[in-house]
Parts: sequence; C-alpha cells; structure tokens
Amino acid sequence: MIEVITLFLFSIIVYNIPLLYGTTGEIMIEKSGSLNLGVEGTMAIGAVAGYLIGMRTGSLLVACLVSFVASGLVGLLFSFLTVTLQANQNVTGLTITTFGVAFYYFIGNAVSNSESKWPALGGSRLDKQFAPIEIPLLSKIPVIGKVLFSHSILIYLGFIIAILMWLYFGKTVPGLKLRAIGENPAAADSLGVNVTLYKYVHIIIGSGIMGIGGLYMALNMGGTFEGSNCWINGYGWISIALVIFANWSPAKAIIGTLVFGFFNTLRVQNAPLATAFPNTLGWLTKIPAQFFSALPFIITLIVLIISSVSKNSNSNEPSAIGRNYYREDR
Amino acid sequence: MKKYHLVRRPRQSLGRLLIYYLIGITISLGIGAILLASLGINPFEYYGRMLTIGMIGNKYAYKNIEGFLKILVPLLITSLALGLSFKMRFWNIGGEGEFLIGAISAAIVAFNVTGLPRPLTIILMCVAAMLSSGLLGLAVAFFKVKFNTNETLVTLMINYIMLYVITYLGKTKEDWNFFLDPKSARPIFGKFPETGIMTGIKIGNFNLLWSVIIAIALIALIYVYLKYTKHGYEIAVVGDSNATAKYAGMKVGKIIMRTMFISSAMIGLAAGLTASSSGTISETITNNVGWTGIVVAWLSKLNTPAIAVTSVLIAILQFGCKTAATKYPSIDSNFADLLQGIILFSVLTADFCATFTIKKKEDAKND
Amino acid sequence: MEYAIELKGISKQFGTLFANKNVNLQLKKGEILALLGENGSGKTTLMNMLSGIYMPDSGSIFINGKKVSISSPEDSAKLGIGMVHQHFKLIERFSALDNIRIGLRDEKGFLLKKDTKNQVVKMAEKFGFEIDPDKLVSNMSVSEKQTLEILKVLCYGAKIIILDEPTAVLTVQEIDKLFAVLRKMKEEGHSIIIITHKLNEVMAISDRVTVLRHGEYIDTVYTDQTDEKQLTELMVGRKVNLFIERPPIEKTKPLLEIRGLTVKNDEGAIAVDHLDFYIRGGEILGVAGIAGSGQKELCEAIAGLRPIIEGKMIHKGENIVGLSPRKILEKGISMSFIPEDRLGMGLAPSLSITDNMILKNYNEPKGPFIDRKYAREEAKKVIERLKVVAPSTEIAVRKLSGGNVQKVLLGREIKSGPNVLITAYPVRGLDINSSYMIYNILNDEKKKDVGILFIGEDIDVMMALCDKIMVICHGKLQGVVNSNHTTKEEIGLMMTGALNLVDKGGKTAGIARDSGFAEDEEKNETEETGL
Repeated sequence: MIEVITLFLFSIIVYNIPLLYGTTGEIMIEKSGSLNLGVEGTMAIGAVAGYLIGMRTGSLLVACLVSFVASGLVGLLFSFLTVTLQANQNVTGLTITTFGVAFYYFIGNAVSNSESKWPALGGSRLDKQFAPIEIPLLSKIPVIGKVLFSHSILIYLGFIIAILMWLYFGKTVPGLKLRAIGENPAAADSLGVNVTLYKYVHIIIGSGIMGIGGLYMALNMGGTFEGSNCWINGYGWISIALVIFANWSPAKAIIGTLVFGFFNTLRVQNAPLATAFPNTLGWLTKIPAQFFSALPFIITLIVLIISSVSKNSNSNEPSAIGRNYYREDR
Repeated sequence: MKKYHLVRRPRQSLGRLLIYYLIGITISLGIGAILLASLGINPFEYYGRMLTIGMIGNKYAYKNIEGFLKILVPLLITSLALGLSFKMRFWNIGGEGEFLIGAISAAIVAFNVTGLPRPLTIILMCVAAMLSSGLLGLAVAFFKVKFNTNETLVTLMINYIMLYVITYLGKTKEDWNFFLDPKSARPIFGKFPETGIMTGIKIGNFNLLWSVIIAIALIALIYVYLKYTKHGYEIAVVGDSNATAKYAGMKVGKIIMRTMFISSAMIGLAAGLTASSSGTISETITNNVGWTGIVVAWLSKLNTPAIAVTSVLIAILQFGCKTAATKYPSIDSNFADLLQGIILFSVLTADFCATFTIKKKEDAKND
Repeated sequence: MEYAIELKGISKQFGTLFANKNVNLQLKKGEILALLGENGSGKTTLMNMLSGIYMPDSGSIFINGKKVSISSPEDSAKLGIGMVHQHFKLIERFSALDNIRIGLRDEKGFLLKKDTKNQVVKMAEKFGFEIDPDKLVSNMSVSEKQTLEILKVLCYGAKIIILDEPTAVLTVQEIDKLFAVLRKMKEEGHSIIIITHKLNEVMAISDRVTVLRHGEYIDTVYTDQTDEKQLTELMVGRKVNLFIERPPIEKTKPLLEIRGLTVKNDEGAIAVDHLDFYIRGGEILGVAGIAGSGQKELCEAIAGLRPIIEGKMIHKGENIVGLSPRKILEKGISMSFIPEDRLGMGLAPSLSITDNMILKNYNEPKGPFIDRKYAREEAKKVIERLKVVAPSTEIAVRKLSGGNVQKVLLGREIKSGPNVLITAYPVRGLDINSSYMIYNILNDEKKKDVGILFIGEDIDVMMALCDKIMVICHGKLQGVVNSNHTTKEEIGLMMTGALNLVDKGGKTAGIARDSGFAEDEEKNETEETGL
C-alpha cells in the first residue's frame, strides 16, 4: 500500500515536470508584456531538435543546449514578428503552435519512414544520462527519498530554474526592469530601459526553457515517433493555464505543477489507488479520465472569472500583457 | 540617436501589397520545396498534385472536389464568424470550443428527433447548434463587458474543456450514451439516422451538398451585413474607437454581446452543417477550423471577400497535402500546417514591408 | 556669470508652424525661474528640447557654460537635467522605491542593493519629502505621486529640474508643501524651471519670470520688480483687432441652463466645481480658461458621456441630467470636441467621410440598413460648403490633414440642425482662412437662433466672436463678462484665478434673471438639501 502511494507521488513529479518548464518559460515571456500562445509548438521544436542531435552526439548536455537554442530561435521569430514588426501576438503565437507541431510530424516522418532520404533515427541512447540520480543519504529516507530525491537531472534542473527565476524577478536589477516593462513599457522606456532588447532577450530565454521541457518529454516517452500523438500532447496548453493559476509567480508555478500533476496522475493511476484502498478510494475508477484532463482548464477558467469579478483581487497579471509597445519615433 | 527610422508609407497601394504577398508566398513555397527535396520528393510533382487537389489523371476527380468542399465549408464559415468578432477587436479564439458544443448539440437532435422529415430535422440540428454555440459566445462576451474578463484566455480554456467533453462522450460505453454506435463493442460514435444526414443536388456523379450553397449565401450575407446594415456600421465604429462609439450614443456592451452571439452562432452553424454532412461526430470533427480560421481571418485583414479567397486557398493547401500524402508515404498531411505557418510568417513580414518604409532621419541642425 | 542653462536663438518648426522662434532663456544657478505663457505659446516644446525629446532646428544650448547637444533623454539626464512631466510615468503596482530603482544609473550591479532604500530615505529627508518608500504607487494620492516623481529625478542626480505645470493637480495645502520643497531644493543649490499659468504662484515662488507668447520670447523680468498686471499684459499681449463679424443678438429665453454642475475627471478629482451658467438662443457664449480647467469634462457632462456628481442641466425647461447620450442628441444638443491630437472623440478615424457623416443619426432611417446614399450626399455638401480638401467622400478621415478633419467634424455637427451647439477648440491648428470660415459658420448658426458654447484658446478671437465670455479656473466660475465691456487683461487675470467677478454688483454671474427654473423646483431643491 505504501508502494502505491510512493509511486503515485513519484509519478506526479516524473510525468509533470515539463509543465514546470513550460510554465516558467511562459511566465518569463509574459512578464515582458507578451502573451505567447505558441508554447506547445515551441516545446515540440525543442523536443525534436534536442532529441535527434542528442542521440547523434550521445550527450545529454548537447541535447539540452540544442533544445534551448532551437526553441530560443522560435522565440526570436516570435520577438521579431511581434516586437519589431508589431504583428498581433495571438495570431503569431497560435501559428507558432501549428507550425511547431507540424514540424514535429515532418521530422518524425522524415526519420522514421523508410522511403525518406533522411538518415534513420539512430545513435546512442541517452537513457544513462537521463536516469535518476539518487542523492546520497536523502534518497534513503522512506517514501520522501523516492519521491523527492531520486530523479533525473532534468527534474532537479526544472526546480532550480523555477527558484532562480523567482529570485531573478524579485531580487535583481534586470528582473525589476523586466517587470516594469510588463507593467508599463512607456514608463520603463522613459527611464532609459531598452524595452526592445529586454523583450527579445526574455522571450528567447523563456522559449529556450520551454524547449528543455520538450526534450524531457521526448526522453520520458522513449523518443519514438510511433503513435499519432505529438510528444508534447497538450502540455504546452496546460502550461498557459498554469501561468494564470500560479498568478505569474515561478515559485507558485512549482505548487501549481504539483496540483495539476496530482489530477493528471489521478487520471492515470486511479486503478492502483482504487485497488489499494477499495473502501476510501474505490470511487476513483468511476470518474471519467476526461474529467481529470479537463480539470486544469476548468480550474483556470474559474480563477479567471473570479479574479476579474472581484475588484480588489491580487492578480499579478502584467498590466501591459498582449499589447505591443510602439514608441512614437522621436 | 538612430539615423534611420520607420515611417508609414504615405500612400498604400493594393498593387504593392499583393506583389509583396506574392513574394512572401513564393519564398514560403520555396522553403517547402527544399524540405520536400530533402525527403527525396520532387517538389514540382508534389506541388502539382497539391494545387490540383489530386484531380489530374484521377477517374474519381469529382470525389476530390466533394472532399475539398467538405474541408472548405466549415473553414469558410468559421473564418467569416471569427472575422466578425475580430473586427470589434474582440479576441474570440474559442472557435474550436464553439464548434464542438455546436456539433454535440446537433448530434443530440439528430439522434433523438426521429420521424420528422429530413430537411426539418437538419434545420432543427442547425438551430440547436447555433443556439448552444451562440449562448456560449454570449456568456464570454458578458463577462468581458461586465467584468473585463480576458476573453482570449477564457475562450482558450473553453476550447479544451469542450474537447474533453466530446472525448468523454466518444469513449464512455454506457446505456444512456446515445451518441455511440450500439452495435460496436468498442466505443465509437454512431452514425446519425438517415433523417439527420444531409443530401445535396446531384450533378452527374457529383453531389453538391446544401451546406456549400449555404456557405456561399453566407459570404454574401456577411458582406452585406458588415457593409450596409446598421449593425455592421456599429461594429466598425466600436472596433475603430470605443470612445467615439459611446459619443455617438451607441450601447457598446450590447453591441459586443450581440456580435459575439452572432459570431459564435455562425460557428455553431458550421458545426451543425459539418455534422450533418458527415453523418456523425468525432473528436476531430473541427479539423482545427477554430485555429485555422483565426489565421485565415487575419491573413485576409478581416475583409469578407478576401476571407472567401483565403479560405479557398488554405483549403486547397490542406486537402491538396492530404491527397498528396497518399502518394508519398514519407510525408503526412501535417505538411499543410507547416507550410501554412511559414506562409503566415512571411505574409506578416510582407505586410509590414508594404506598410512601412525605412527613411533616413532628417538631420537636425544644431548650430 | 555662468548660467546653469543658457538658450540662444532656439527655433523649432513643425511643418509650417513655428513652435519656437528665436527664443532666449537664462537660468541662473540656484534660482527658480518661472516660464509663463498661454496655451500653445511653446513652453513645453522648449522644455522638451532640454529633456532630449526634440532637437532644435537652430540655436544653441549651453549647460554650465558649455555648449552641448542633447539628442536623447539619456543625454539630458547625464547633463544633470531632470524633468517632471505633467503626466506621471510611474508603475502603479510597484513601490515608490522600485519605481526609483528602475532608472537608477548607480545601481549597476546585478543584484538589487539593500542600501538603496537608505539613500532614498536620506535624500527624501534632506529635502523634507514625506514619503514611504515601500508604499505602492496605486495606493498613493496625486500629490504623493508627484512627490515621488520629483524625488526620482533628484535621486538620478539632477541639478537642474524642470517642472511642467506641477500645481495643476494639487490642492492649496499640497501646493504650499510643494513650494516648501522647491525652496529647500534651491537652498541646496539646485536650479529650477517651473512652467505655470497661475500668476499668484509665479509671484509666490519664482525669482525671475520669462514670458513666451506665440512661440516667441517676449521678456524676462525680476519677480520682485513686477506685478500680476504687468505679467498678464506680457503674457496676453495687446489687444489685436480681428475683423470677425459679430451679428447683434436678439434675446430669447435661456435655452440651456446649468446649475451647480459638479463633475469628476478620469483620475477622480473634481474637474468642474459647482458651475452655473446659461446659454440663450442666438448667442455665442465663450469659455475662457487655462488648458485643463475642466473644459473637456464640462463638454462630456453636457453630452451625457460623464456621470454628474451634482447639479442640474435644464434644456428648454426639461432636466437632461441622467439621460443617455443618444437622448441628449435627440434633443438637439450637439457637442464637438477637438482634442490635442485632433482625432479621437467625435470621429471614427478609419472610417470614410461618408460613414462619419451619419455617426450620430445612422439609426434614424427605418429598417436594418444604413442610408449611405444620403450620407454621401451630406458628405458632398459638407465638403463643398466648408471647402474640405479631400480626393473623394470615401477616403478614411485619418488620411485627411488636420484642418480638413475639423471641418468634417464641425460640418457634421451643424448639418443636423442642433439648437445648442457646443464646440471646443474648433480652430485648433487651423490656418487663418480656415479659421475665419469656421467663425462664419458659427455666426450663421447663431443667426438661426442656435445657442453656441464656444470653448477656445485665443482671447482675442473670443472677444471678437463671442457675445459673452465666461471664465473658469480649476473648474470654478470666475465670472461672466460682456465682450463689449471687458479687457483682455481682465480676462487674463480671471483665467489665472487672480480676479473673481462672480458676485459683482449684487448679481450672481451665471444665473439668468428670467431663469426657466420653476419657483417650486427651487423650493424643492432647498427642501431636498435640507433633508
């Protein structure tokens, strides 16, 4: 019985950490005042690029860097279109998602189909480097050791990124300036902050972080292109919802990831739980899986409505979000 | 101080815009060609097949036109509908969700209302679809008007909630679930009774569905609605300047809610027609028109005739890639999305280049 | 002696219009210089050249005796110039401290420094600011926000501080506090330029006064050697005789009577304060006042676009308070307002001239369609009558030049045959000929017994065109004068709040003798207030 609970808690983290990458990446972008709906596509491109090259080189580090750069380039595209060309953010972001997912399928077909001229998927697997690292001593603690301290390096990295980003926003000069841009770009501009540069840099970094999340999904899924679903499988969209749930705070994003991950795991592991605790949790199998899938979106919808209805809400939504900033040329 | 700066071109010519668009699309197709060639596919053959939607040398070419129209009709109606709300600067990106709730409502009618003549049943299906979608859109608009709730994010959430609702209906084998095929042990959506399936006008072998005729009528209707009616006028003023609309005595909140109802109801109509013409529903019934429609409306700059043309082009791209994919196993129909993305990026760039020009700054005399 | 700032022969042209023409200005070290001038006299343009927003077309700038070229706000800040704008550039959700930190040039490091707070507190203490560095801007009053803006430029090391109409948003007590701070800054060796219209403030705070008029430098005088009367004369100039026709009026009953009207502005401060006035049919009532004295809010209140806190508006014996904008339109009250950007309220810029013609009455024809044929004809008529330069009736209004935009707007307002015409700044930015055409149009309307409220900028024009002029200051009535029996100086003094003629000779200005307010209504009113 204790194994069931341990596995359940362990799964929450193992299967949902990409949400944390997607969410923290999107928070960084939204803090600069841009709403990027292209998370799903950005993650897909990072996943494919990092995974393929990682396999070729046999290095997880290279895979991470390639994912970061590939998704960063998508961020560059988004910045160029919305910051420099002043294109509509919604349309650009949605197109990045369509494009990114299509890119995933294109590459998938290209490397896995025998008629394609592309080299087949190959190289060494990254299983070893991706394997859980058991932290000495701590991982020996019952339950907690397994749940918190025996994970792949990319899981630890996800938490580290979230915490560093939280410190960055709250404790550093560039973090402060970034938040200022998201609130009131004209005011920041008048104080000599280079709005365009800040937006570019943070959109690119945020997108790059999403890419590593995509890579994690590729590795966790075993990296085959079989099956009709894209690796990312909607995690990008849940991340956008999670940004709202986390109230634009990277620290709360960790909690949000665990909460959304909890529902997600309930969906997958309802049967073992119901078997282990037939009296108390037997009802779990009666709840349709789709309900748990929809729950993140339902919760976010409720949060959105409540925070707008109650006037004195403490929503941290950046005030200038979604609006392009254009300084009248002097 | 920067030496150069961007200025709006003093005169905007349609000719220049179209030339820039053409250049953008050519570059996009060029990138696509390189990708195709890298797979060992002859791009000219592929594009040839795509642009003729696989009709050349095909005995059943009329089937291809039918298939193409089935893709075109929902896309066209949805794009028109989204254009309506975007014109008011209302970011309804909930096309998917509105389409799905419409399709479900149409299916409820199709499965349960039996014994009525076919046209009446189909009309009832469409009315149910329009009402359900319209009310969903109205609810979003209500929150926007009353509490300034972010409509982009709300509609986004609704898309996914509705997706899981229809998935639930399609996956749950229960006695009450009339949506499913009772004969199949595996849960799959059932076929509508005959009275719920749309017919059309037979032209030889070719079957021209009524939905196509309705879609063409809608182009004209929306064109007139936006251009010649008081409602259309109000939409234009509200979209242009909220303050001016209030100054002119318009009830801005009411206009937004009404237009969102109409816009969503049209998407519901698209869903009802699609469900009826395919005779069933499924999780993928939207064929992503809620997303693609946004791109179409935007590429067309919310201009009704342009939306009609762009929908046709995008539908050719999508159906063409689908038929081409049957010949080339190393690529699938998702290539259409890839091309569509590249085209949008280059058209956005072309649009910018056609509107702005780089000018050297007049030097300030400082002495 | 060396000046903190010396401007020599500065000129700046926008199109054909001179915003500044050969302006000279000297700011001594450690003095407070007031920059005085009417609206549009080029004060803000001049100061924007010091803060790096514009560059002069000709002339030279010397800072501390050295010739400089200021081409960006950064350059300006490096030279120790700090400008406090009229519109605050603050981030509402940040604390005062964080707002200061964004632009702090010393804070070079990556991490936010702990001792910045102490420095800010010290700086605040040094100048006697009462400010809590951790308070969120969204919780601050207007005066606190302004204090923060001043503290900000001080923290950035500014030695020369320019304040653009700092008192416009403050109460009397807050102004006193501000002046105490300014004096303290002066003691610490800072040099200050303060832009203001209010003569009493000029007298109270400044050492010297530089006066601009119509973009040109007029004179600089020592404050202790001048008085309000002389300053007004310098500011408004001698009366210029304009040959604008003024048809005689035939007195009719008051058409629109306003009593005790109180309205708030967007920031929630009182913009129109218990205002009384009335317009008769067939007369033009001018409204004179410094920019931002409540003109915009008054217009919006009459048109039903702004909630009325208190007061009554009686039109032809009927109360119109609380009616919808459309109902007010239907009563024949037309309002047109030309904002500073000349677009915005009143026109839909992306729509054609034709479509803009029917903005207010598109709903009149029965049935679902708009009558564009009628609209096109109206557009043609307006284009012809007002000599609008436009390639066709179908061109978007946005693409017309400024003067033509105004003609379209005014043309639409008068074509509907209103009985009360409220027009704010109808000649803003127009050349002489176009302006005269507008005056003629207004006079034609007047002859048709339309009551006209003319909100203007140029006193000479108002004295020539209007039958009576009401002067407001800070949203309060300063008096109503007859154009034939007043002087430019008198109006100038009233505008700046130095003269109040509301209760002159036992008669309260703004209340008609033959008021349409029924006796019992007045009684009711007193009863109501008594409750």
